[in-house]
Amino acid sequence: MAVRERNNIYLPVKAEVVEKRHLSADVSLFTVRPDVPFDYRPGQFFMVSLWGAGEVPISVASLRKEGAKRSQQGGDLIEFCIRKAGKVTSLIHDVEKGGFLWIRGPYGRSFPLEYATGREMLVVGGGIGLAPLRPVIQWALRERNSIKKVSLLYGARTPDDLIFRDDLKRWAESGVNVVLTVDRATDGWDGNLGVVTTLWHKSEIDFREAVSFICGPEVMIRSAINDLFFFGMPEDRIITTLEAHMKCGVGKCGHCYAGRLYICTDGPVFSFREIKEHNLL
Amino acid sequence: MRSEWVLPKGHLSYWLRQLRNRASLIAPLRVDGDIVFKSLENIHEVSLDNPALLPSPKEFLLPQQEGMFWTEGERIRPLLNKERRFIFGVRSCDVSALGLLDRFFLEGYGDPFYRERRRNTIFLSIVCNNPDPTCFCIGLGTGPYLEKGFDIQLTDLGDRYFVQAGNRQSQRLVRQWSFLFTTPRKVDYEDQYEVFLSSKARFQKRISLESVREYILAGKVRDSFWESVSERCFECGGCVYECPLCTCFTVTDRSYSFGTERVRLWDTCLFKGFTRMAGGVLPNEKRVLRTKRWYYHKLVHYPDVLGSFGCVGCGRCTVTCPGRIDMATIAIKLRDLQDNGR
Amino acid sequence: MDKILTVCPYCGCGCGLYLHVEEGRLVGVSPSRSHPVNRGSLCVKGWNAYEFVVHPDRLLKPMIREDSSGLRECSWDEALDYVAHRLAEIRDRSGPDSIGILSSAKCTNEENYLIMKFARAVIGTNNIDHCARLCHSSTVGGLAAAFGSGAMTNSISEIRDAKVLFVIGSNTTEQHPMIGMHMLDAVDRGAILIVADPRRPQIAEFAHIHLRHRPGTDVALLMGIMHVIVNEGLVDIDFVRRRTENFDAFEHVLRGFHPQAVESITGVSIEDIRRVARIYAMEKRSMLFYAMGITQHITGVDNVRACANLVMLTGHIGLPSSGINPLRGQNNVQGACDMGALPNVYSGYQTVTDPRARRKFERAWRRKLPTKPGLTVVEMTEAAYEGRLKALYITGENPLLSDPDLNHVKEAMKGLEFLVVQDIFPNETMEYADVVLPACSFAEKDGTFTNTERRVQLLTRAIEPIGDSRPDWEIIADLSGRMGYEMQYRGTYEIMEEIALLTPSYGGMLHHRLRERHGLQWPCPDVGHPGTPFLHRKKFAKGLGTFITVEFRPPAELPDEEYPFILTTGRIYFHYHTGTMCRRTAVLEREEPACYVEINPLDAERLHVRDKFPVKVSSRRGSIVVSARVTERTPEGVVFIPFHYSEAAANLLTNAALDPTVKIPEYKVCAVKVEPVMKEDRRTRPVKVVDLEDLRIT
Repeated sequence: MAVRERNNIYLPVKAEVVEKRHLSADVSLFTVRPDVPFDYRPGQFFMVSLWGAGEVPISVASLRKEGAKRSQQGGDLIEFCIRKAGKVTSLIHDVEKGGFLWIRGPYGRSFPLEYATGREMLVVGGGIGLAPLRPVIQWALRERNSIKKVSLLYGARTPDDLIFRDDLKRWAESGVNVVLTVDRATDGWDGNLGVVTTLWHKSEIDFREAVSFICGPEVMIRSAINDLFFFGMPEDRIITTLEAHMKCGVGKCGHCYAGRLYICTDGPVFSFREIKEHNLL
Repeated sequence: MRSEWVLPKGHLSYWLRQLRNRASLIAPLRVDGDIVFKSLENIHEVSLDNPALLPSPKEFLLPQQEGMFWTEGERIRPLLNKERRFIFGVRSCDVSALGLLDRFFLEGYGDPFYRERRRNTIFLSIVCNNPDPTCFCIGLGTGPYLEKGFDIQLTDLGDRYFVQAGNRQSQRLVRQWSFLFTTPRKVDYEDQYEVFLSSKARFQKRISLESVREYILAGKVRDSFWESVSERCFECGGCVYECPLCTCFTVTDRSYSFGTERVRLWDTCLFKGFTRMAGGVLPNEKRVLRTKRWYYHKLVHYPDVLGSFGCVGCGRCTVTCPGRIDMATIAIKLRDLQDNGR
Repeated sequence: MDKILTVCPYCGCGCGLYLHVEEGRLVGVSPSRSHPVNRGSLCVKGWNAYEFVVHPDRLLKPMIREDSSGLRECSWDEALDYVAHRLAEIRDRSGPDSIGILSSAKCTNEENYLIMKFARAVIGTNNIDHCARLCHSSTVGGLAAAFGSGAMTNSISEIRDAKVLFVIGSNTTEQHPMIGMHMLDAVDRGAILIVADPRRPQIAEFAHIHLRHRPGTDVALLMGIMHVIVNEGLVDIDFVRRRTENFDAFEHVLRGFHPQAVESITGVSIEDIRRVARIYAMEKRSMLFYAMGITQHITGVDNVRACANLVMLTGHIGLPSSGINPLRGQNNVQGACDMGALPNVYSGYQTVTDPRARRKFERAWRRKLPTKPGLTVVEMTEAAYEGRLKALYITGENPLLSDPDLNHVKEAMKGLEFLVVQDIFPNETMEYADVVLPACSFAEKDGTFTNTERRVQLLTRAIEPIGDSRPDWEIIADLSGRMGYEMQYRGTYEIMEEIALLTPSYGGMLHHRLRERHGLQWPCPDVGHPGTPFLHRKKFAKGLGTFITVEFRPPAELPDEEYPFILTTGRIYFHYHTGTMCRRTAVLEREEPACYVEINPLDAERLHVRDKFPVKVSSRRGSIVVSARVTERTPEGVVFIPFHYSEAAANLLTNAALDPTVKIPEYKVCAVKVEPVMKEDRRTRPVKVVDLEDLRIT
């Protein structure tokens, strides 16, 4: 019986919230410790749920420690960055430290990080889209010897909406070229204004040789991949991750179906080549 | 092991009665002017003289509403349905659909709820010798009879049935009551073949979805065509609910004072909220995108991925569609466009 | 797995569907293929009709309000004794007319009959009404005066054989989808479809002619069409001579509606008026359909009369595929009216002021009955507001969302001494209830529903009652016994027997007859009668049809400088009325989770409003904030808001101006203004302050 239940792909695992940090007005970072360990990679996502509220797909915002062993007490910490966007996420936001979330996963294809080995890496994020890219940057910093250069272009609506500010600062200090921009400045902001795709010149990247990882609102993704392709980046190395309505995460419920692919199992990470081939954007 | 027998008609009810002792027996019954699949109380009520158009047995494997989990506090109980079922009187088109459903639900991530129901269900199908005017399985190779892929297939030879068992589990159902069955003789094979032939001759609709697919892939079908189709869509979801191959579902939680149930419900891609993203963006707000998506899935993507059409020609969407934009009607419209060289 | 044939609980189409039951649980729905209305189809609401039944919100136990702690659960005995005691006390102290009863178009015929009997025989008041007041009282009043009977004259299955379909004020494909299906079939078979609607509903996409007249100008439009018919000699003179009366007086009034004048009132061109007049009059199999777009006006009755005059003028009535067809909204609104859940009539429209009818019911019920007609829904609210009405007993209705001018209704409910609400789910009105009684849903009871084509159909119990809920008829019968009037019925079939005895048009409607072939259409006077597919064959129910003269009156509230838009309200496809059932259905609620206002792109541009932007819509009575939906479905100068949403209730805005005859409120026209709302600062939680200096990395 127990074995079969473990085989139930829809059965979530309990995960205690060990830390909850507000990143912006409507975004919080939940650090959870699941009852069993999970092996996951940047770009993958979990179905996060509360009984009585429902499930939502949330991509992992943390990098799994290298060589982390399966411990008896439960799994390693996993971080989920969750924006209050609908009913379920609002209810999840009511969970405080010490409370529980239920998770199952990880699902989907991860970022092909190996593409970055020996190359320059350009990371382009918009709004909460920085969350799945965070482990990419963390990985790049861990593997800094094999990666030539990391550049991050990150934009948000207002300065208040910029998330992971501590990380941004730390990354900049560790040598990442961090370029920030906002759509609408508030008092005290005298940095860049406008969308990220106006900042290519500040990326200091040789587009032809680099690999890019992109996540953000659909309009941003669309113009970013088009621009990068125009600048000569090969379409295989323009990598993005797509969002879709999902109920199962395992290619059964049909909600994320798009042009013969399931975003959940065939994605959510796609290269520009795949996006063009299957008309995904 | 032998897999072909002959069952005299008079023995059928005895056999069914024996089967009913082993599991719940579900069969087509005539109720209030309709034919529905339901649990059988009296064997003599089985209605076999009905037209081909029965409800799809999909509901026994993927019910319209299915409990997934029940939780009280931190205790979670999966709600696997382990009831054993024999479903008698199913048509070939639906058995063909089952083959595809099995691949969809059991390959890759296996769906435990489907698996449990499938494992406990045996389908006894009947070769169609009386297709409905809406049927077009003949153009898809999914009927009116099957060469393989069935559990048990019966062919009505007038005074007896030709019985074929497609797997070990099914063979046992015959061998346990082997005294009811006889060995087929040459004349039985000949009669069976004749039934196949005469059945094939009775179809009114001849539709080649392959030519429709080629026409679409050649880029000949303009968006204005899909516009005109989608204008007639009532957004009832009937085509999807009735389709033996449509599997989309949604999941919802119901919290009672004494626990929470997570249930899945049939859903359809023809609704704009089906793809609503966090924050309320509706990628498929235009109805034409959704109509097109349904047809593309069945006619273009299904063959690409699973190697066969997402349609078995059962004709149920023809009956249920209030806007008359079902698969057969659209295929015929496109064929006419094609024939007129447009 | 069992499958039980029953009737859909949503709209007046009355589709036949099977409820799937597994281990005592509802697990699904499938359409009946042999049903004459839906023929194997269902709309999305029907397909999902099983889900709300087991929703966690279901009321499971009776509740009584404690002064301090709100509602507390109690036993049926306690609740019903309390209700009986309080109602008797109020009746004895302030007279029976200080009590009002609201019956429900969602309840069965048997239940409506019992509730009507309870009001009249037990309480002793004619203060009984139901939501038909708010949708089709104009029809009941208007058509009864003209023909002697207020219902669809044809059957739904006749639609496909019609040659001309004239649909006015009905969004048929969305609100009566299965009737829309038959219309589409007719069009495919060559019928000409004429749609008259200020908005552009889906059905207009198939129309050969779409007349977009200004809201509230239906009388003028119809009179203009009739003017052309008379002028061009297209009148069916034989019909007018043999079967109608009062034509001359009518013709005299008609002369005032010259197409030119009509064009300037309605905004519809003379050419279109002429075309429609010719097409409609010259074909014999012409069917006229209307719904709330005609009835929910202060001129609702006049609108209906104008429609009736049009069909009499052209002789398009009394034949198959030829007649006038009001599309009733609720699944059993026809039945609730037939059963006399109205302040002025007993079952079968026998008037309370007719001494013979009254004597008949007095003898059957062994009680003296009140002689004067009672109060209507809106009048009850008014009487409660003024303190004349002390107690209200509401079954299956939600006036705090469905009635016009909600702020006013709220005050009225507060003023009541005693309020009983009997329903399947908590609703807005319950906030003021003293006693709440849990009733059964359609899946848990039996009885009959009468659909819009007068088809009386049997409802079959599929599952046991949820919780301690009981069918409405049992509750009423029990309560009545506790008030000293025994109502002993072993089942709903016994109630139907009594109905059949007292109601001529239901004379042959016995349950065992209804079991076959999906019911019977009234009139069905005796047990040998096969039912009546179309009405007024050879003669009208009242003998001669009467041309009733009508004059054009503009809506009660017209746009002005301060409130420049006309607001019109209505339903949307995925939802139904006050949303009690559909908003508890996962798929339906997901499709349209929030209220919106439809606004024309040109108006939107002027107001600097974009699609999905929040706007504030206000009238003289209230205001709501909803998101804008910019669409050409709605013409310039008009906005549309669905009324399903309690969180943004359109009826906070609507005008409670009433039709003088039948007191239907004018839901379809009132004046509003629309203003964009600035997005408020979304910051709600303290965020760790990061020095912006730190972030100025580049």
